[in-house]
Amino acid sequence: MIGQIIREAWISIASYKMRTFLTTLGIMIGVAAVVMMVAAGQTVQNTITESFESMGGNLIIIVPGQSVSGGVRTARGRPSVTFSDVDSLKGMKDVVAASYIVSTTAQAVYGSNNWNVSVAGTTPDYLTVGNWEIDRGIPFTDRDLKSGNPYILLGQTVIDELFGLQDPIGKTIRLNNRPFTVIGTLQPKGDGLMGDDQDNIIMMPATTLRQRLRGSRRPNYADVAFVKVSEENKMETVANRIEYQLRARHRLKEGTDNDFTIRLMTEMVNQARNVGMILSILLASIASISLIVGSIGIMNMMLVSVTERTREIGIRKALGASNRWIMFQFLTESVLISFMGSFVGMILGVVFSQIGGFIFDKTVPISIWSVIISVSVAVIVGVASGLMPAIKAMKLDPIEALRYQ
Amino acid sequence: MNDTHSPVIEVKNLCKTYFMSGGMSQSVLKDISFSIEAGEFVAIMGHSGSGKSTLMNILGCLDKPTSGLYLLNGDLVSDKSELELASVRGHEIGFVFQNFNLLMKRTIADNVSLPLIYQNIGEKERYERALRMLEKVGLTGYENRFPSQISGGMQQRVAIARSLINNPSIIFADEPTGNLDTATSDEIMNLFTRLNQQGITIVLVTHEEDVADYAKRLIKISDGRKEYDGLRQSYQGRQEAK
Ligand SMILES: Nc1ncnc2c1ncn2[C@@H]1O[C@H](COP(=O)(O)OP(=O)(O)OP(=O)(O)O)[C@@H](O)[C@H]1O
Ligand SMILES: [Mg+2]
Repeated sequence: MIGQIIREAWISIASYKMRTFLTTLGIMIGVAAVVMMVAAGQTVQNTITESFESMGGNLIIIVPGQSVSGGVRTARGRPSVTFSDVDSLKGMKDVVAASYIVSTTAQAVYGSNNWNVSVAGTTPDYLTVGNWEIDRGIPFTDRDLKSGNPYILLGQTVIDELFGLQDPIGKTIRLNNRPFTVIGTLQPKGDGLMGDDQDNIIMMPATTLRQRLRGSRRPNYADVAFVKVSEENKMETVANRIEYQLRARHRLKEGTDNDFTIRLMTEMVNQARNVGMILSILLASIASISLIVGSIGIMNMMLVSVTERTREIGIRKALGASNRWIMFQFLTESVLISFMGSFVGMILGVVFSQIGGFIFDKTVPISIWSVIISVSVAVIVGVASGLMPAIKAMKLDPIEALRYQ
Repeated sequence: MNDTHSPVIEVKNLCKTYFMSGGMSQSVLKDISFSIEAGEFVAIMGHSGSGKSTLMNILGCLDKPTSGLYLLNGDLVSDKSELELASVRGHEIGFVFQNFNLLMKRTIADNVSLPLIYQNIGEKERYERALRMLEKVGLTGYENRFPSQISGGMQQRVAIARSLINNPSIIFADEPTGNLDTATSDEIMNLFTRLNQQGITIVLVTHEEDVADYAKRLIKISDGRKEYDGLRQSYQGRQEAK
């Protein structure tokens, strides 16, 4: 019986091609929009996750300054974490590596090329902590750190901008007019969380940076410190130990606030993921307004159709169609219309989001969500918008309907 | 009457009153009783507004009487649910209408086989049976045309083929020749006569004496009451005698 109903419904909507197409259009656009928005949201989420992962897993981040219920009170706290604070964490249980960064920006010049670049003054451990790999050459060592040798590692963007196809190893470049020797290059990482270019970087020993680029009255204080933990489930414990140790080193009395803030990368990833998720839901909800409009379109069309086909309904009833049959036929018609609309809309949505991904140079996932969305839209919208017209058709009195001109 | 030979239609004290908005009501059928045996050919006549169509709609299970009994093939119709009535219409009754009532967007074959859909009969069998019915009404070769592509007389023959396809025990025709010219009317009435000779019970409503002449029995309705019920010839005789 279902087969017969679907066939009859199909023939009916197929005999009004233009009208069916126009009605379908609303759902098509709606589903395409939702699929695209969900894909966009997922891409944002994936980008967030990926860039966190590229920064290295199981990281604890320590920034100077007090924390106030989860947030940092000031943009950058007074310097409070010293190089030796961080070094003291190295021997701690479950800590793989600990490092710190003092950062600045500088004008890099090589030959006639010049380029603005971020400079990170750090320790050899930072490569481990931040998931950086040496591409060619060698890293700087603890001895270089101690002596403040002017040795630098170049990120891929800096190489491209200053050297083009030349080999940078062993060359001397000038940063803010002071000479530095390139001893190694870093493997590229791609874009960071904010779409910033992580490869536009020069690394050097922190002491070198302090001595040659960014002097300070307190040269031994770090901007930020990183601790890499051996296992994810040890993060909390290690964070507590770090807090204890730093408080002790800073001679903080009981009851006073920390003068530093400890954050777990895992927490930050989750927070960022939640933001991404909320963004996805928001985008999809906005897009689904067009689905509601499309659904009203179907209902409108079906109501017109029932009135137009009053006599057909009378004939069918006279020839043995039960009320139920009539209702299901009209319901099936609207479900078929919304099904076609959402199917085509799903394909359009996937195609357009891939094109968008191509344009913005991002991998856009083709997710099971687009299928789930379009199927449920087909059923929900089809039934919701077809129910009223179908009941109207069902209730028609066959005698009246046969008399209808 | 015994069980082995119950009439196709049996109507007892049938009344129909239309209740309209504003408390108005109109009594259209008043205390009508008759029975129709299998194989009969009955014409129902009467002035316009006398209640013929109302009676036909009740007999065809499209409407229910206000009071009185209606038995179709021995079954009490007034007890049946909407679903059962639909099934009775689909299995036991064939309809022929004045304005043919074909689905204009469907082929002749689709139109003829339409009642079989509601009996859940497959597409292939429907088509084959439609072809057989079309042969019966002399329309072989027209199965893939659309109603708009054939004449009124042919459309009515399609409608007759459609009314026959479920092997009904009775065919109701409400002014089947009302929209046709005399020659075409004769053609249609000859078809009914032939079907009747094959044993199909036919009840038709008509205004035209010529059309009623094809029937053996006449039921005359006047102002909602049965005025005459008997042989068509005898009624004619009575009229002429006056
Ligand atoms: N749905 C209805 N509501 C109220 N009154 C109705 C309804 N249907 C029919 N009537 C009335 O019942 C009476 C009989 O109508 P019916 O259609 O049965 O007459 P008829 O004999 O078939 O007439 P005609 O020869 O013109 O077709 C008419 O007076 C009509 O106004
Ligand atoms: Mg009438």
